[in-house]
Amino acid sequence: MSSSPVIETQALSKVFGPQRALDGVNLKVAPGAIGLLGPNGAGKSTLIKCLLQLQPITSGSAQLLGREVGREGREIRKRVGYTPEQDCHIPGMAGCEYVTYCAQLCGLPFQAARQRAHEMLDFVGMGQERYRKADTYSTGMKQRLKLAQAIVHDPEIVFLDEPTNGLDPKGQAQILELIQSLWKAYGITVVLSSHLLQDVDHICEQIIIIARGRVLVHDTLENLKAPKRGAAEVVVASRQNDLQAACEQRHWPCTPLPNGHLKIEHKSESLNPLLNLMHELKLAPLEIVPSPNALEETFVQALEMSHAAA
Amino acid sequence: MPLHDTSYQHWEGAHLGLWHRRWTIAQNGLRACLQNRWMRHLVVLCWGAALAMTALLFLAGQLLVADSVIVQWVHNLSPDLQVFASMLTTWLEQHPEVSVRTTQDVLFYYFGTFLMTVSIFALGLAMPLLITRDLASNAIIIYASKAVSRGDYLLGKFSTAFGLLVMTWLGPVCAAWLVGNLLAPDWRFFWHSRVPLFHAIAYGLSSMVILSLLALGVSASSLKEKSTGALWFTWWIVGGVVAPIAAHTKPWLRHLSFNFNLDQLALAVFRLGDDLKIAQDNIPIFGSMLRNVRAETTAALNNPPIWGSLVGLLLMAAIAAIIVAKRVKPE
Repeated sequence: MSSSPVIETQALSKVFGPQRALDGVNLKVAPGAIGLLGPNGAGKSTLIKCLLQLQPITSGSAQLLGREVGREGREIRKRVGYTPEQDCHIPGMAGCEYVTYCAQLCGLPFQAARQRAHEMLDFVGMGQERYRKADTYSTGMKQRLKLAQAIVHDPEIVFLDEPTNGLDPKGQAQILELIQSLWKAYGITVVLSSHLLQDVDHICEQIIIIARGRVLVHDTLENLKAPKRGAAEVVVASRQNDLQAACEQRHWPCTPLPNGHLKIEHKSESLNPLLNLMHELKLAPLEIVPSPNALEETFVQALEMSHAAA
Repeated sequence: MPLHDTSYQHWEGAHLGLWHRRWTIAQNGLRACLQNRWMRHLVVLCWGAALAMTALLFLAGQLLVADSVIVQWVHNLSPDLQVFASMLTTWLEQHPEVSVRTTQDVLFYYFGTFLMTVSIFALGLAMPLLITRDLASNAIIIYASKAVSRGDYLLGKFSTAFGLLVMTWLGPVCAAWLVGNLLAPDWRFFWHSRVPLFHAIAYGLSSMVILSLLALGVSASSLKEKSTGALWFTWWIVGGVVAPIAAHTKPWLRHLSFNFNLDQLALAVFRLGDDLKIAQDNIPIFGSMLRNVRAETTAALNNPPIWGSLVGLLLMAAIAAIIVAKRVKPE
């Protein structure tokens, strides 16, 4: 797999009247699952729209998949998928017709487009409802439909703008699993724009934190979590008190959380000391989350620094 | 558990070209238009009119054959009609080129203006499906994120409107000309009727281009489906009502009506005044009938205010283009 950057920007700026939505964004993003994080109005959607040429760039330059944005729009978009945040189906069209049509708009012949549409609707888990008009779909179905239309032409990179909005927890988990598989199993670069940290934490390897139109952080999730190693969130089926007491004996701060989990600061790079302790106590962990809230803390920290600088 | 493989599959086929994608947009728009029952009825009406036009052309052709059933039948009717038919037959026999051209010019003029009325109605029904619905549903973003540009999208939508007009206007005109002349008693009718066909196509094509542009402009003017349809019909009807009233007060006001302007275009293209003059000179009874026609009507036929109409239509098309350019954006 090529590791040349899929997204490159140089001093990319976008101005709406007096408001600077993007302010000199410099990025060099390698293929992978990329999380684009930021508070509402940070400039995440604007960055995506500028890269897709849905918005003209005010100044600076950008390359997507090695091609200059602004010059080779059609060629770029042939290799790119996009799910906007809002509903965008064509009224009166059934789900499978809509996805077929989207594939044709990317240049697929009708027969291939129809076959791919059904394959992608299968992939996103839509059943017979694909034959119903999209106007009648629930939010979850619309999200699935949006994902299907974004990948029906087999793009090399797919931009997903808040793809789990309005979904119940089960639906969220299913959609995130599908998105994760796009990169892990099929090599399609995913750019997930979200304000939901747990979504990004769940599936992304690279993180871009953006606020006030500026990139505050761009690093791998692993690197971002490194300073926060030495803490873990543990769930045990029983004898939580025993674990708590044993931790206190070792001077490991241990805090019961409102969700019933225990946050243990074991002060080690690896989880081995904690696992050894649990082994000694003959406690089987139900779940261990290393470096919990690392992303959240990094996010908050970055935002605070941004506010202070402003 | 699905019975087949539901995993993601890569696609390795070749992409089709840009014109295919534009055609896809046009085709999809046309399909959506024809899903409307009333639209299908209008298309049938236009092709029914083409059948009637074919019958008229057949009848006109049969007047050339002295012993045809039509001539015999006309002779059995009133004496006046008998004289008229005899003169027409003589004229047709003596000057086939001029007579066929003149007769078909008049017939295609009326046929064309009838089809224009039905086509304007059809565009009114199609109005929400052109651009309004895409703007209202944010589908415009989906187009913009695919391998088509704004220009491709607009060309596709223009082709939808134009394609609809081909079905309700140009198609019936060409079909009626072809079949009507196939049924004529002489193959030379095809040659003699080339000018009326040219007039009908020139008028039809220029009006269709302008109407398609105007339709796109009106369709892009609002996000509400009912508003754009209502705006189109209001413009059409109010224009039609105002034009004859304004003729006596402020004549320039007539040019705010697109159908008035298109009517003047038809008169200028078909030059009916010339045709009627030729007929008047060759068929005396026809000449005496035309003497009763009011001077204003004759003047309107001979000198339609075509320049004002052309300026009016071009201004309308320019305004429509500006509306489309302002409104059709992904954001």
